[in-house]
Amino acid sequence: MITRPLVAIVDDDQSVRESLPDLLRELGFRSQAFSSAEEFLASDYVGQVGCLILDIAMPGMSGPGLQRELILRRQEIPIVFITAHGDESVRPRLLEQGAVECLIKPFSDTALRKAVNAALRLT
Amino acid sequence: MTCQTSSPPGREAIETGRPYDVEERLRRADGVYRWFHTRGFPLRDTQGHIVLWYLIKRDVDDLKRSETLLAGEKRLLEMVADGRSMSQILEAICRLIESTASGCYCSVLLVDPSGTRVEHGAAPSLPASYLNACIGQPINIDAGPCAMAAYLNKQVIAADLTTEMRWARWRPMVLVHGLQSCWSTPITSVTGKVLGTFALYHSDPRTPTPLHQSLIEQFTHIARIAIERRLSEETLSRLRSELTHVARVQSLGVLTASIAHEVNQPLSGIITNASTCLRMLAADPPNIDGARETARRTIRDGNRASEVITRLRALFSKKGVTVESVDLNEATREVIALSLSELQRGRVVLRTELADDLPSVPGDRVQLQQVILNLLLNASDAMRSVHDRPKKLLIRTERDERDHVRLTVQDTGVGFDPQKEDQLFEAFYSTKGGGMGIGLSVSRSIIANHSGRIWASQNDGPGATFGFSIPGSCESNGAADTVGAIQMPDATGRIRVVSNL
Repeated sequence: MITRPLVAIVDDDQSVRESLPDLLRELGFRSQAFSSAEEFLASDYVGQVGCLILDIAMPGMSGPGLQRELILRRQEIPIVFITAHGDESVRPRLLEQGAVECLIKPFSDTALRKAVNAALRLT
Repeated sequence: MTCQTSSPPGREAIETGRPYDVEERLRRADGVYRWFHTRGFPLRDTQGHIVLWYLIKRDVDDLKRSETLLAGEKRLLEMVADGRSMSQILEAICRLIESTASGCYCSVLLVDPSGTRVEHGAAPSLPASYLNACIGQPINIDAGPCAMAAYLNKQVIAADLTTEMRWARWRPMVLVHGLQSCWSTPITSVTGKVLGTFALYHSDPRTPTPLHQSLIEQFTHIARIAIERRLSEETLSRLRSELTHVARVQSLGVLTASIAHEVNQPLSGIITNASTCLRMLAADPPNIDGARETARRTIRDGNRASEVITRLRALFSKKGVTVESVDLNEATREVIALSLSELQRGRVVLRTELADDLPSVPGDRVQLQQVILNLLLNASDAMRSVHDRPKKLLIRTERDERDHVRLTVQDTGVGFDPQKEDQLFEAFYSTKGGGMGIGLSVSRSIIANHSGRIWASQNDGPGATFGFSIPGSCESNGAADTVGAIQMPDATGRIRVVSNL
């Protein structure tokens, strides 16, 4: 049996950490949620996940901050950003800096599946 | 000194035999008319007949001139202090010099914003045909004495234009108007930048006397004050309007973004959970427990969104309201003072009719001023695209029935669609391109909280009239208690948010 791909979720919002793993499982992925960038970096998951669903604005290290940190560590992971700051203008810049996708909350399950699949194809 | 003696006061004194004391303009022995202070005393014989008159004549021409100048300078400085327009002040300077140094014609030319050409300042007595030819000339040494003075930042004296060799193109133009000399002096800013030139023309060949030079020095100084003041006011008002725009956009933008974020978080949870729930139910076999859990979370996030809205409402219903006795006339004057430059820029002619017997009203002064300001700026905006008729704005205060106080703002603008009258005061309804449609809805809520009413009506002629009416002092207590849930002014003085959006 093929191992289902592993997705990490980093978001300070608890309802995201509760709801996204369930949806991802329904979509056929394994997932693990973290409440901060620091918590994720300190975990064993950094080298194992095929996709990172990453909130942009968080207390402590921001989403783009984590992205830069991973590049510095040469542990790049395809990233799908999610944000509740409903501003489309950030999207092109994030894509330019290497993100696979940037989803504006609230987003649909199909948009999420499409983005995660795109990210996993890169690994 | 020999003088002409038969002046009217002198003749009158000879008839009545009473001593006299007058200032009169007489022709001096050399033919020049000057002011004299004359005192005459009769010498009588023992019978009381006048045998001769003692006359003491003192030449007071210089004194008189300096008095006139001093009074003129004082008047000019008052004009500066009163905020009269630059062109009025420059024109007054010209007229004062022309009346003091008789026989001369004055002009002030300004350096245009690009610093390369001259533009019109003031020249009340020079023929328009000559001025039109001067305006727009490039600033260099060839275009004429004024352009040269501005270019070199040095006084240029052309004492006799009939023998002058410079300015070949300009000379015939000025000679044809009967002017034969021109002295032009640069007007420089505090930092030494040339702002314009001040020129004196005569119809005969002349060189400036020390008196002329001191006049020129004195009045180029006042001209400098008037010009610099206008420049700094223009800069200030441009900055202010940019700032107003930025502040308005920013405060609304920041507010919108924070509301969006607060609401989008739970919405995101709702959609994710509901999607998961559907998938769990569609599975074979359906995951009932999981579906129940995600449905429960959906409700929780729904409640969370609702709490966000409640919190927002609470935030914007903070009672930062003070009730005091407000003199609506005074409040209106302050608002007018604040918006005067905005109105002037829009070439709006403002008229006020503020009733003398207006009772004061209980209420929040700042909020009422926000309403007035909003009506005023709306009226000004409504006239922005009007070019075929005067842009007139009338603010009127008066007693209304039942001891209410009424304020109306009447414009000659584009008016409004009568069918949309009901919507005018609704939030987010706007007829203006850049408008948010918040001002009038907030105004309505402020006036409602003052137990008053606000309305709009079409004028018989062009434009619209907006007004409100609120109870005067006698009903103060009721009104004071109901002043409640309202809004915060933003930096623009316009009103930002209202609780009952």
